[in-house]
Amino acid sequence: MLVENSRPHLFDIYNPQTSRFFDEMFATDTTVREHYEILFSRFNELSPAEIEARKQIVNVFFLNQGITFTVYGNNEGVERIFPFDIIPRIVPGREWDIVERGLTQRITALNLFLHDVYHDQKILRDKVVPAELVLGSKHFRREFVGVNPPLNVYIHITGTDIIRDKEGNYLVLEDNLRCPSGVSYMLQNRQAMKRAFPALFSHYRVRPIEDYPQELVRVLQQIAPAHNENPSITLLTPGIYNSAYFEHSFLARQMGIDLVEGRDLIVNDNRVYTRTTRGLKRVDVIYRRVDDDFLDPLVFRSDSRLGIPGLINAYRAGNVALANAIGTGVADDKVIYSFVPKIIKYYLDEDPILPNVPTYLASDPHDLSYILDNLDKLVVKAANESGGYGMLVGPHSTQAQRDDFAAKLREDPRNYIAQPTIALSRHPAFANDNSFTGCHIDLRPYVLYGESVKIVPGGLTRVALTPGSLVVNSSQGGGSKDTWVLYS
Amino acid sequence: MLSRVAESMFWMSRYIERAENTARFLDVNFHLLLDLDKITDVDSRSYWEPLIMVTDDRDRFLSLHNEFTAAAVSDFLVFNRNNPNSIFSCIALARENARSIIETIASEMWEQINRLYHFLNTADHDILQTDPYNFYQVIKNGSHLFQGITDATFSRGVAWDFVQAGRYLERADNTSRLVDVKYHLLANSSTKDEVDPVDNIQWMAVLKSCSALEAFRKVYLSRIEPETVMQYLVLDQYFPRSIYFCVQMLQEALWHISGSRQREFATNADRLVGKLEAELNYTTIEDIYQQGLHSWLEELQKKLARIGDQVYESYFSYHTFSDGEDVALGPQRQTLSPGRVSRAVWSQSDSSQQQQQQ
Repeated sequence: MLVENSRPHLFDIYNPQTSRFFDEMFATDTTVREHYEILFSRFNELSPAEIEARKQIVNVFFLNQGITFTVYGNNEGVERIFPFDIIPRIVPGREWDIVERGLTQRITALNLFLHDVYHDQKILRDKVVPAELVLGSKHFRREFVGVNPPLNVYIHITGTDIIRDKEGNYLVLEDNLRCPSGVSYMLQNRQAMKRAFPALFSHYRVRPIEDYPQELVRVLQQIAPAHNENPSITLLTPGIYNSAYFEHSFLARQMGIDLVEGRDLIVNDNRVYTRTTRGLKRVDVIYRRVDDDFLDPLVFRSDSRLGIPGLINAYRAGNVALANAIGTGVADDKVIYSFVPKIIKYYLDEDPILPNVPTYLASDPHDLSYILDNLDKLVVKAANESGGYGMLVGPHSTQAQRDDFAAKLREDPRNYIAQPTIALSRHPAFANDNSFTGCHIDLRPYVLYGESVKIVPGGLTRVALTPGSLVVNSSQGGGSKDTWVLYS
Repeated sequence: MLSRVAESMFWMSRYIERAENTARFLDVNFHLLLDLDKITDVDSRSYWEPLIMVTDDRDRFLSLHNEFTAAAVSDFLVFNRNNPNSIFSCIALARENARSIIETIASEMWEQINRLYHFLNTADHDILQTDPYNFYQVIKNGSHLFQGITDATFSRGVAWDFVQAGRYLERADNTSRLVDVKYHLLANSSTKDEVDPVDNIQWMAVLKSCSALEAFRKVYLSRIEPETVMQYLVLDQYFPRSIYFCVQMLQEALWHISGSRQREFATNADRLVGKLEAELNYTTIEDIYQQGLHSWLEELQKKLARIGDQVYESYFSYHTFSDGEDVALGPQRQTLSPGRVSRAVWSQSDSSQQQQQQ
């Protein structure tokens, strides 16, 4: 250590609490993990003011680019920057290889599951998954039984939520097979980090993620109906008030495809067209960021103003491809989630590479009484909610909240699951009090599936910036970090 | 290109131009009052009221304020969120439109609109009294920077032509309103024979608000007379803010979009703009005076509005297979009147459905 540098170091007061949590950066309270050493010494040299200055560079970059999201409930239309934490998360190559193999296995099995439940339903007849759970799921789309999507692929884009437990094991928390969002933050965070810390970045051998849009457009080309060699591809957005609108426009721009709203499309004779200044133009593939429910008012919610009347029939006729396919939500239901290890075993005859978080089903009377007895220790989730809504974090809850959930559980057990409260791994984050604080994180890698499964090495690391909080969702005070997957 | 995208291009451009013109009116008025030493409220009322007349918002203004004071008028025209023509509203609407086509425009264009919006959104309203010069300068420069960025980064395709069409249609309309109001005010106060130095300053102010003073002097030297000013702002062929120039550029953009040429027209918009261009080309300032400047300008504004209407019919109104429910899904538009045309982007009921995310 240099003697003349007497200024206190930022990490001097950082407390990893490795006896209670898995800290991504510190193996013990005093030793830094090998792959974090360079980053540690670089950040340790900086003063809070220097870090704050770099944070400002990044925030201005985000604000001017319009990289904002909208919070529901609060003031209508208030835009915020998705909080960005300046210290990146590093994943060594050998760990990433496990994640990559585990996700490939999982997505392959889930896709086989979807094909099965929309065709022969063997897995239900073999009673590996209870038929009533699948057929009774609100995301099961009876209308699609027997429909063959191109390449037999249902889940072209997945954003799997992965966490690490106290021992550092990677576990799958949620599958997100419908319209997962956040990939634009993954890409923009990388841009921001390269701006703010170019020298540090070049010290690490970080695997690139910038080809994600090209890989995505390749998948969309692969699933195009056969009638056109140069398929016309569009991205369907709910509109500018959707909190992920920035992402929709960003991806459309990166892929060089049209961004359309429902009112831009029209169906005639089971073919889909866009309305242009020169008349109607045929559409072959739609990357839709609109949920099933809103896609077609003739088939699903009739009050939808975001959808296109007749789209579903055009899809069933094979004249247009949708990514993701219709009805994929049946496999990311949180109840079905608990069966995924069995699903992997059933279709692939393999043990899951990435384990699940242990899950109790309120629909099982045994599990239900256990859940009710342990509400203060468990996390209870509604089966079909997302975005961190409809959830009870037992250890952080009040008696009134627990009573409320107990009533809900008894009333509608099918709709709830419970999981032990996992002490999510922590990572230093530069918090508001100008110091490093250990905050809980997760990881959402993005999996693409066309002719084969392809995972861009990286993902969105979300961080619960509220001290002690376990909820990382942007709608609940979460932020994000850049994620550096190393070559080795 | 998508009809909706084309429409947003067109309106984004119009709203920016409208904001810039409002900033020009206000800036010049402020300077004029300094020159005339009529900065006190009592004296200056008759100088502020015309600004409200320019924008056709008299009724709306009077529903909010009793008197045409400097503070009330400038706040109404700059920051008032209930005034759809205030600079803030225009920039916010330009931004909404830009947001809905963010993947089509160059990212630098979006960043510029966004920066301007955040500047206005966080600006201290007192700045209108404490530092109006710099404030209006920021707005004008913001608009110029946007146009420059567009010029330097945006492909010369159909989208570009819609941006041009929107800008020049709006500018022609704005210049005609400015001329109308000022002429109305000034022509009544002076007799032809003697040149009142106060009038001279006022006519200079009119030219300044169009950034036309220096260019005007090169043509007419020091002869600042109502006729020459009118001649210059209405009929000059080369000055980029004159009505005739704007109509020429509008014609060029519309013909580019449709592929029309001289003596041919593909759409009704092309026909109307061609007709207007020819009319202006063969009109003298004497012809205009003969009809009466005010009624001539009012007619011009109606013609411009009809062109805008036909642009909508030809390119933005949604193509449909049957005249069924689709028509109802089009964007809401105000019916045309001599007042200003605006475009509503989204209704709140739509916005609630758009909020779903995994």
